[in-house]
Amino acid sequence: MNASSIDRITSDAGEVDAVTLKITERTKKIATDGTPVDELVVNVGPSHPSTHGVCRVITHVDGEIVTKAEPVIGYLHRGVEKIAENRTYLQVVPLTDRLDYVGSMYTNWAYSRSVERLAGIRVPERAEYLRVITCEMQRMASHMMSLGSTSGDSGATTAFIYSFDIRERVIEFFEDLCGSRLTYNYVRPGGVSMEVPDGWFDDILAWLPIARQSLSELDRLFFGNHIARGRLKGIGVLSAEDAVSWGASGPVARGSGVNWDLRKHDTYSVYPRFDFDVPIGSNGDAYDRARCRLFEVYESMRIIEQAIEQIEPGPIKADGIPRLIAPRPGDAYDHIESARGSLGVYLVSDGSPRPYRMKVRSPAFCNLALLPMLAEGHTLSDLVIVLGSLDPVFGEVDR
Amino acid sequence: MTGYVGGLVFGLSGGMVIALAALFGVWWERKVAGRIQMRLGPTEIGPAGVFQALADTIKLLLKEDITPRQADKKLFRVAPFLVFTPIAMSLVVIPFANGWAPLDTSVGMLFYLAVPAVSVIGILIAGFSSGNTYATLGGIRGAAQMISYELPRTLSVLAIAILAGTLAPVEVMARYEWWWFPVSLLGFIVFFISSVAELNRAPFNIPEADSELVAGYFADYSGIRWAIFMMSEYGGIVATSYFGAAIFLGGSQGIGGVLGVLLIFLKAILLITVIIWVGWTFPRFRSDQLLTLAWKVLTPMALVQIVIVGVIIPWL
Amino acid sequence: MAVRSNDGSGAPPNGHIGALEHESDSVLLHINVSDEDRGGVGGFVDSWKSVFAGMKITAVRAMGPTKTVQYPHEKYAVSPRWRGALALKGVLGRDEIPIIRDESPVYNAVIRDLYDRERLPPCVGNCPANVDARGQNYYLAEGMTAEAYELVRERNIMPGVLGRICHHPCESACRRNYYDEPMAIRPLHRFAYEEYADVREERVKVFEQTRDQQVAVIGSGPSGLAAAFDLMALGYRVVVYEKERAPGGALFSGVPSYRLPRDVLSTEINGLVDMGLDLRVGIEIGKDVPIDHLLGEFDAVLIAGGLQTSRIIPVPGHDADGVRGALDFLKDANWKGDAGVKGKRVLVIGGGNVAVDVARCALRTGATEVRLACLEGDDEMPCHPWEIEEAVDEGVIAMCSMGPHEVLTTDGVVSGMKMRECLSVFDEMGRFAPNYGEDYAEVECETVVFATGTAPVLHDLVAGSDLVLNERGILPVDGTLFTTVMPNVFACGEVVTGPGSAIGSIATGHEAATSIHRYLSGASLSENRTDRPVPVYENYQPARLDGVEESRKRVKMPMARPEDRRKDFRQVETGFTHLEAVNEAARCLRCQSEVCVGCTFCARTCPDYAIQVQRVDDPGQRAITRYDLDLSKCSFCGLCAEQCPTNALTHTGQYELSFFHRDLMVFDHDEMLRDCGGTRATGADAHTQADAEEAS
Repeated sequence: MNASSIDRITSDAGEVDAVTLKITERTKKIATDGTPVDELVVNVGPSHPSTHGVCRVITHVDGEIVTKAEPVIGYLHRGVEKIAENRTYLQVVPLTDRLDYVGSMYTNWAYSRSVERLAGIRVPERAEYLRVITCEMQRMASHMMSLGSTSGDSGATTAFIYSFDIRERVIEFFEDLCGSRLTYNYVRPGGVSMEVPDGWFDDILAWLPIARQSLSELDRLFFGNHIARGRLKGIGVLSAEDAVSWGASGPVARGSGVNWDLRKHDTYSVYPRFDFDVPIGSNGDAYDRARCRLFEVYESMRIIEQAIEQIEPGPIKADGIPRLIAPRPGDAYDHIESARGSLGVYLVSDGSPRPYRMKVRSPAFCNLALLPMLAEGHTLSDLVIVLGSLDPVFGEVDR
Repeated sequence: MTGYVGGLVFGLSGGMVIALAALFGVWWERKVAGRIQMRLGPTEIGPAGVFQALADTIKLLLKEDITPRQADKKLFRVAPFLVFTPIAMSLVVIPFANGWAPLDTSVGMLFYLAVPAVSVIGILIAGFSSGNTYATLGGIRGAAQMISYELPRTLSVLAIAILAGTLAPVEVMARYEWWWFPVSLLGFIVFFISSVAELNRAPFNIPEADSELVAGYFADYSGIRWAIFMMSEYGGIVATSYFGAAIFLGGSQGIGGVLGVLLIFLKAILLITVIIWVGWTFPRFRSDQLLTLAWKVLTPMALVQIVIVGVIIPWL
Repeated sequence: MAVRSNDGSGAPPNGHIGALEHESDSVLLHINVSDEDRGGVGGFVDSWKSVFAGMKITAVRAMGPTKTVQYPHEKYAVSPRWRGALALKGVLGRDEIPIIRDESPVYNAVIRDLYDRERLPPCVGNCPANVDARGQNYYLAEGMTAEAYELVRERNIMPGVLGRICHHPCESACRRNYYDEPMAIRPLHRFAYEEYADVREERVKVFEQTRDQQVAVIGSGPSGLAAAFDLMALGYRVVVYEKERAPGGALFSGVPSYRLPRDVLSTEINGLVDMGLDLRVGIEIGKDVPIDHLLGEFDAVLIAGGLQTSRIIPVPGHDADGVRGALDFLKDANWKGDAGVKGKRVLVIGGGNVAVDVARCALRTGATEVRLACLEGDDEMPCHPWEIEEAVDEGVIAMCSMGPHEVLTTDGVVSGMKMRECLSVFDEMGRFAPNYGEDYAEVECETVVFATGTAPVLHDLVAGSDLVLNERGILPVDGTLFTTVMPNVFACGEVVTGPGSAIGSIATGHEAATSIHRYLSGASLSENRTDRPVPVYENYQPARLDGVEESRKRVKMPMARPEDRRKDFRQVETGFTHLEAVNEAARCLRCQSEVCVGCTFCARTCPDYAIQVQRVDDPGQRAITRYDLDLSKCSFCGLCAEQCPTNALTHTGQYELSFFHRDLMVFDHDEMLRDCGGTRATGADAHTQADAEEAS
């Protein structure tokens, strides 16, 4: 098309705000120019039900077909990495809560692992088990959020509620554990912040079979449904080569058949002690990505059961960590498998009690970069499905 | 002169019926959807929250009626009524009791199938006049969808018309026999699905598509104009359910008086509940899938239904 | 690996789709999540089946229970874990800290109770005798030195003595370690003792004998005196027998006077005698008086004889002239002031505290060169690190990782020692199993002192009674109840525990006294006798003091110069002045007292800088003047409450704080001390107060 034919359609993000569509004006344009205008710019977001936060996607549509989808990020940028340079190592932990606010435990843990590596802190075994249990529960909660929003994006509000039912119970467990529902501040450098309440493990073990049942119900209701399968299958196909070369990780990469799970392939903590599988997709479409998450929830349940069986009493914090951690000068990087993929934190210390530099390698950011490639050629309805299947959390994308 | 007064009285009472139907429909939908989603639905206003919808309506009446600056103002303001009026008009041929419909005409079924289809013009106008990309897409989608679903819907009703030998719904109800139901089951399913699609209800709420187009063609409406869209949607549900109950389920089945009114009401409620149940269970179709369904599944099914009826008729 | 169902329950997770594909692999077992639709008529049927299956699921749920929480009709019970608004339990200047003080038989139960309620300060928990160091610091900071002394004496018997020689596990546990440096608890014991000298005469309180039973204690060491003190306090008549000419046991004969001046020891023991103790020196039970006599005369007998003899490793030449045991050597040095090493070179074998004492005594008694050889490396020596540090300052030459191989003799007189390299001391199981290397070294010396272990001498003592020693000459004693095979004979101190610390011996004395009291009053010995709760607070990493905030550092204990102190037996540490002591006592964080002391750790750790604390530190009116919490900044992360050493700062279940005026969001300490009732949403409560303020 001739871009000058209609002044509002331009890739410049600044001007698109002014997109208005007046039928009379538009017909006039066509008439005077003689060029057919067959593209419409739909500004999806930043405040939109299906952008999972504050993402803005400038979408060019030809009829319903997306010809170009351009994500604009940064609406949730709070400069966490810079703020961290002015906080002591312990004060940074609440900040990491607010990175991946759907999976606070992960950012807590990745950060704590980096600090522990930097300061040479050894974590007691019970704390490692508690971290595994809470983080696998967090994976359940996070994946239920993702599955719920995938079904919500495709219009199945009830499946959304059913998956949030499971997530809600996990969050209630967290509330019992540490008093918070979203920003837990639970995993700390040196261990975890609180001992589990009495009967907590028993409650979880009693609940897991119920969760399995309602999860399988959700599976039949949504993934078994003809309409949902039609909506998800063949949408946003990502090849394994592209997944690797674009730096995708987590269920996005595994949905494309890339066998990459840090819990297995760069194993950490006490994960080698558990028997669990890595679900792998073969088509790389939105369906496989969502199903990967579903099956990972089952695997998380298995890990939780094994961990609760193996956990033994003991200290939950490393002995004698000073309140003011001041690691020796140097740097450290450590990463964990979050619900969204490889989440890493790089820390540089100059020997003072505050990090000299903190950098977060956020999987959601890397995965979101795939959106233009995956969404093009699909309809506008599929754009939200593709975005949902990448499962971005904008606290982590924008940092 | 009498005609004008009669028309005015009739129009107002029709409007009241639709308003009541919408109030009841909203409440019933919220209750059913609530139970499906393990919630209670409205509980606070009135017994079991039955007046919640009324309170919401009062709130909507009091809200500011906003017309966006970039909208085509005249069309924008008139569009809700263009949607509402055909739906309201379709109610006149519905047989609410045994042997009685407000307008007992011999082409009642045709009237019912033809008149509400005009509301697509209102939807298209609402979408385009809003001057909003979401609304535009919603309007276009709505038009495409409603036009394609007219065909299977009409064809499915044809089977009953052949069986009954009349186009008057009151007559159909009078002549209804129990074995019509199994014979016309296929047609009933086609009628039901295409009616849901015609009403833009989930899983066919593509023009609204709250997760994609936010609210589609009525995204920019507020206050009473938005409430009119809402009322026409629920009025449509009530009309369709009554019509389906009368044509396919036998309506009051020759039972006169209050009992007959109650019977057709219960059958209509059943259909309303199923529409809500289906709507809250399934994901939304995509536009192309919707058309595939219409042309590749429902239309052939309706044709098969006509063939079935055609085969049976000589044996009667 | 066997193919098994995914969820372990046997049923495939997806009832609609066909069976899962499992890809067996020796390392990993993958699940393929993709599944394909059936084509043709089958697919058509499947799609309709899926529609009805979905409708069935929602219908079943619709018939099932609802999960709506009807707020506020169904309110949660408040959980202590909920991180709502913050509250203070008490503040300095308004609330007093609790003093841990109770009579000996129930003291352990009190400690246990505090521990269970998480109210036990770490210093008290880590002390074997559970001395209330927090209470001492409180009294000292408030200027009540006599009360401080008497509080410490309840459990510590001789604060002046322990204030000089204790290995202060309390300081290792001090929570100040996490922030800067630990409290100087031990020097403050000493300070309290020194201040008490002025009022000792007038504050003497004689224990009344309220019971007619009598107890004999054999040995006047710390453990025997501790038991005697407790029993006197309970109203028994107690007689302590000491075989030496002066009381004090190992404190007298073992501890060099440069660490413990003898006048301090005698003052403390005289204080006990003034309080009613019947002390009889120069009587050796078993030799002068048979134990049978005691058993007949007294209702119970407590053996607190301590360790009497040194073990000498039987290397070749160990019986030569000039090879000596450590206790012998120390006794000579302490009693006579001359150990016979003037002008000689001394080699001390052993790495414990006794070995260091021997080496430092040898320097002071005129040895020209003192070497200290031990098996362990310099970072794993069993003595306290500050001891070896001070000794090296004075000129002791430490030879680490060296084991004794042979004593070299010339005509039966020691001329040197052949040492062998030691590679490791303990095996993988942590047992003592030295592993020697092939390197040898020879040290020239005239005296070799073995400080490699000590043992009790009890043969004479138990002769003629039913008590039986085992083959190693050790009396079998119950480790918790301190009972022997005879019901009326008890034992405590190093006789039971082996070589240990003075405060550890005192703790056993308290326990033995409890057993004796229960025995004499006919109560069950073992009932409610739990192991002492000892939270382990070791291996802390010293916090860095530079960089963040100026923190109040520990007052340094003044020390004599090394070149001066090696010459004589005067005390090395010279003690706090009054001002130093009060300042140091005021550093105490009053851990677990639930009274805010204005340490500002909460303010420093707050990521949102929502807390501001000010404290006035004038003596006599030490108080918190400002504690402001800006709840509009607070993110409820909970770091502050976690940091709080006193547990004064806690979370309430109070959420949904909304106020008409934004400045009402800043809570001062009056507001934070107010009982918020513990409801989850108490906006209404706060509102009424705000409204009342506004109206007035």
